Formats: sequence, structure tokens, C-alpha cells
Amino acid sequence: MGPVYRLTLSQLAGRWRLSIMTVLAALPVILAVVLLHSETAPPVLEFEQSILGHMLAGSIAPLIVLAIAAAAFGNEVDDRTLANLTLTPIPRWKIALPKLLATITIAVPFIAVSAFFTSYVAFVGDIRTTLAVTVSAIVGVVLYSSAFVWLGLVSTHAIGVGLLYIVLWEGFFAEFVGGIRLLSIRHYAIGLMHGIDPRRFDDLPHLTLTPAIVMTVLVAGGFLFMSIRRLRRMDVP
Amino acid sequence: MTPLNEAVIRVDGVSRWFGNVVAVSEVSFDIMPGITGLLGPNGAGKTTLLRMMTGLAATSRGSVTVFGEPVRDNPSLYRRIGVMSEHETVYEFMKGRDFVRMMGRLKGVSDLESAVDRAIALVDLADAQDRPMETYSRGMRQRMRLAATLVHDPEILILDEPLNGADPRQRVHFKRLLQELASGGRTIVLSSHILEEVEQLADTVLLIVNGKLAAAGGFRAIRAALNKRPYHVRVLCDSPRRLAAAVLGLESVDAVHVDPDGALVVLSRNVLDLQIELPKLAQLSEIRLRRIEPLDDSLESVFGYLVEQ
Repeated sequence: MGPVYRLTLSQLAGRWRLSIMTVLAALPVILAVVLLHSETAPPVLEFEQSILGHMLAGSIAPLIVLAIAAAAFGNEVDDRTLANLTLTPIPRWKIALPKLLATITIAVPFIAVSAFFTSYVAFVGDIRTTLAVTVSAIVGVVLYSSAFVWLGLVSTHAIGVGLLYIVLWEGFFAEFVGGIRLLSIRHYAIGLMHGIDPRRFDDLPHLTLTPAIVMTVLVAGGFLFMSIRRLRRMDVP
Repeated sequence: MTPLNEAVIRVDGVSRWFGNVVAVSEVSFDIMPGITGLLGPNGAGKTTLLRMMTGLAATSRGSVTVFGEPVRDNPSLYRRIGVMSEHETVYEFMKGRDFVRMMGRLKGVSDLESAVDRAIALVDLADAQDRPMETYSRGMRQRMRLAATLVHDPEILILDEPLNGADPRQRVHFKRLLQELASGGRTIVLSSHILEEVEQLADTVLLIVNGKLAAAGGFRAIRAALNKRPYHVRVLCDSPRRLAAAVLGLESVDAVHVDPDGALVVLSRNVLDLQIELPKLAQLSEIRLRRIEPLDDSLESVFGYLVEQ
């Protein structure tokens, strides 16, 4: 697994990509600082809903992960170097899993640092809340990564399809249609936040901890399985 | 290595279509140890066929087996196969040696560093091995990709247009290398759209035209078939109809006709004699020749002729 993991890290760690990630990850922190120091600072409930629920879990995290994960296979499909990996005697899971792990390795620092400082600033150093937000943000990265790595394998327009998914599914349908929350990564993250720190996020629509954990495992495992299956069955360019 | 009389790769009734477009149609052949050339014009279906032979693409119908096992979704077979695709993309940020080492590791090579040394020496790139591949010329990239293909010492080598981008010196080196590898009992399949390339290298030729197997066998048999083919020669002169009547008496001429634009078209199976006799005849008949040109020197027309046979 090591060579594929290291190769993917090198491929994904482009200077431009990392610069954009840094700017995106800094946005919620900057916004939290500005809001906290403004005269019209929002109440905690509004902050939880808009900055953490919508901006961080529903926009920044998936956008950062999409930009990285879609390229994990997508770039190799485009430049036709994927055959270098598939024409080797290693089982397909030893290609898909390191690709996913490399994606998570690159995305986690951005999201985790962003989530940590945003919540630390906003909740004035409340460690339990900060931990809840950070852990659920990391879980969100794992979930979005597994979904978007698969997307990069099945679509040559992964970025476009991913953006539609983020805006329409996570942002619109999961917000207004209750049943869809069971199929929304953002709501798994919110469910986990509330599960770790029940004092917070209680007024946000959320799943309870058990379904959030069960769905997290199913979704992450499911997309990884579909990536492996796709690698076995696809025509490699 | 496989015994010389045993098929290493078996392609059995293979077809592949993309929507309504048939890329490969009902192709069957066996490949034995030695060098086999897959010859055909651009767009004939060679790459699609090679991709199915390597398991990169699925067949729409039929089967491909290597060493008696289905090649598709069978990664363990790649311990014994080395494939170099026609795409020249490399990991530009990576040094040549690192690339070959990575491929060796992925292919499960045990004595890695000496295998990497050997593969890079084979392609004569030891001096450039520690440079990033973005600094390589096209020919150097091809050779380093070949080193990565050879690093696990495969029994079968499948090479798609391997001489693309190679300069004359590299071509000579490459041909010698392939002949050495084949003499050790390996099975080598290489594709090309250049007749001479395959003629110099391959023991057996598979001629692919329009997705079909047009001819198979030794190169001499295929050359003989090519030599029987009539050539079209276009003649521009000041009296085409008079010249047409005159050339019909020549033994080297099979048929003639005059195009609407006034050009005389001569069909001949003996162009060498024709090019000597025609000017003499024109001089005798006091006809001024302005231009003589072959109409069908392209490979496509040669292949087309063989398919019609």
C-alpha cells in the first residue's frame, strides 16, 4: 500500500491546491473572530446553525475534500497514468484504500485546524465543545473523502457533480426534507457533534448518535467498496 | 518460460463495440513465444485489441486468456506480464529511478535495487536516472517507461507503439534489446502502423484493418500478398486519350481510364517496368508528360487491398 499512498500524496500536494485549501479553511475562523468582536454578535444558536452547521460542515469541509478527493483518481484517469497501478499484481483494494487514506491525510489538517479554532474562538475555550466540533469535522472528512474518491472514478466531471451534490443534496434537500437527513453526511457530522457534547447543537435538526455512527460506518465502507468494485470492472484508459 | 509450440495468449472470437461503433470484430488468434507484430493503420483497432489482451478493457464478446487464465480482473497475472501503453504521460515530479523503483515495488520484485539497476541499464539511461522525468525528452520518457515495464523481468511484454518518439540511435538500441529478450524465450507483442518497423522486428505479423484480422503469418507471406497488388499511377500529359490507347499495349499495364479532370490513371502490377516504359512510349508518340504520381502509396490503401482479398 505504501507506494500508492506516497504517490497519491505527491500528486495531491500541489502548491495551488494547498493555497486554495488554506484560504477556504481560514474563512470560518476569520468569520468567527469578526462576529465575536462585532457589536451585533449572533446568539450561540445562530452561530451553531450558520457557521458550524452550514458553513463548515455543509460548505467548507465538502468543498475542500471535493477538490482533493476528486483528483485522487480523477487526475490519473485524465492523464491516463492509472494503468500504471492497475497493471500490477496488487489487489484492487490496495489501490483504492491508500488513495482514500492519502486524501484524508491531506484534507484532515485543513478541516481539523479550521474546526478547532473556529469552535475554540466561538465557544470561548470550551474544550468539550471544541473537541466535539473537531472530531465530527474529521469524521466528515472521512465520509466526504470516501464519496468523492469514488466520484472521481465514475465521472469525468467529478468536480461539477460534486458541487451539485453539495449545493442541492446537502444544502437544500437535507435541510428541508426530514427523511433525507438519514442520507446526509452533514447531518451525520451534526449528530456526532451533539452526541459528544449534548449541551450544544440541540436546537439544530440532527440525527441521534447511534444512527449517526451506524450511517457513518455504512457510508464510508460502502463508498470504499464501490471504489474497489469500480476499479475491478472499469475500462482503464 | 513457455514451450515454443504452446499458445501464451489466446484471443478467441473477440469483439468490442462502443455504442454503434464496432472497434474490433470477431478476432481470433494465438500468440506464441517470440516477437509478434500487430500491424495496421491508425484507427484500425490495434490499441483496443491490446487493451483487451492486457485486461485493461473488457471484451463485448469473446475471451482473452493468458497462460490459460482469463486476463480480465486477474491481477496476479501481472507478475508475468509487462505492459507499456501508447500514452506517454509520466509522473513528471518523479525521478526516473524512483519511478522504476516504485513500479518494481508494486510488482513485488524481491531484490529491488539490483532489479532497478538492471532495468535502467537495459534502456541505457543510467546517466539520467536521478533527474526528474519532467526534464526528459520524449524518447527518454519512453525508455524509462520501458525500464519500468521490464523491472520485474516479465515473461510476456506487450508494447503499444513503443518506437514513438525514439530517434534512429534509440530505435537501433531498442530493436537489439527486443531481439535479445525474445531470444531468451519471452513472448513479445508490439503494435505499430509502420510496416518497416514490424518487418525488421517481428517473426509473426497480425494485420488488423477496420477492427478485423486481415492477415496473419510470417512477414514474407504478407509481403508477397502486397506485391501482387495493382498500383494506381496518375499521369498528367497533353493528350491523355492518345496515351491511354498507347499504354494499353504495354505488358506492365492492367487497365487505364481517363479521369473527368483529364488525368490518365494507369493500373499496374509492375510499377518498376512501367516507370521505364511510359516515358519512352510518350516520346515515341510525341506526347508531352507533365507529371507522374502514385495514387495509393499510403498504408491505408495497402491494408485496404489486403482486406478486399
